[in-house]
Amino acid sequence: MPYINYSDRELAFKIVYFGPGMGGKTTNLIRVFGSLKENARSEMVTLDTAGERTLFFDFLPLELGKVGGFSLRFNLFTVPGQIQYEASRKLILDGADGVVFVADSQPHMLEKNVESFQGMLGNLREHGKDLKTFPLVLQYNKRDVSGALEVGCLEREVALERQIPVFEAVATQGTGVMETIREVARIIVRQFSV
Amino acid sequence: MKLTKDNSLPILDELIANSGAMTAVLVTKEGYNMVSAGDVSYLNTTALAALVAGMFSATRAVATMVGEKQFSILLQQGKTRNIHISLINDSIMMVIVFENHQRIGKVRMEAQKAGDAMIAILAAPEPGEEKRPDLAAPEFKEYALALVDMIFSAKKA
Repeated sequence: MPYINYSDRELAFKIVYFGPGMGGKTTNLIRVFGSLKENARSEMVTLDTAGERTLFFDFLPLELGKVGGFSLRFNLFTVPGQIQYEASRKLILDGADGVVFVADSQPHMLEKNVESFQGMLGNLREHGKDLKTFPLVLQYNKRDVSGALEVGCLEREVALERQIPVFEAVATQGTGVMETIREVARIIVRQFSV
Repeated sequence: MKLTKDNSLPILDELIANSGAMTAVLVTKEGYNMVSAGDVSYLNTTALAALVAGMFSATRAVATMVGEKQFSILLQQGKTRNIHISLINDSIMMVIVFENHQRIGKVRMEAQKAGDAMIAILAAPEPGEEKRPDLAAPEFKEYALALVDMIFSAKKA
């Protein structure tokens, strides 16, 4: 459910970037942050980073502008990808209006992608989301590695029962990043009901 | 009745005046800043709301682990500034920033008073349906989609 504040005329949606550790979730946020004009973005908050790993979450609030007198906002979060932070991931997914799953295309990462994707589906189910319709976009990141995983392999491995939008990305170069967020934002807006 | 900026701001203003606290902010459990009172010039309340919500969720999980449903008050003590966070109901938290730690008793008492006043509002019946704009109307969505396309344009990030 989005957050609606009628007295301040504000409508805010929550997008969570999910995926295995070191897969490029934070890099996606940094690229989105870097590509937006200053009036659309607030400060990006990164918490407790050990080396290049996110330990709790990253947070990037975006204000897109006004629609019908309401400020339209998207708040982006990342989850920590490492297996041991299951509890944090579940907390952060609470109240999500849409999810971007950032898969790591390195050939040895298939199992970790599958494990993370199944964890995400389980968490969403526990939060009462309808997995047939919940806004979900899949990004195959790191497409520049040699022997990259075949696009479509993850959906096949987890036997995903629905079609979801898929994007190929090299987040470190900014390729595919904006296409991904635009698509998840579009689905969220289209499905939104009061 | 729902808590709104209009009905909660006077309560927070009174809390600030009576307790001498710097700032009071209402935050939803999803991490949104509902309303702020007092001095917010030094504070990014959007980020604060997201962080406090995360912190409270984590604390709730810890409470469950030790056999409590939740801890209803969190107090963070710093060298010069302190934070008192209390749960108003299942989905709203009140964050109070204050400087003089010796005023903790006063802050706690005023927080309790403000919390009670907000609970009374939440328990009151909803007045007649006010006319609200239909945010799910097709034209609203169309504008919103146009904005999404414009802001997240496909140029390389």
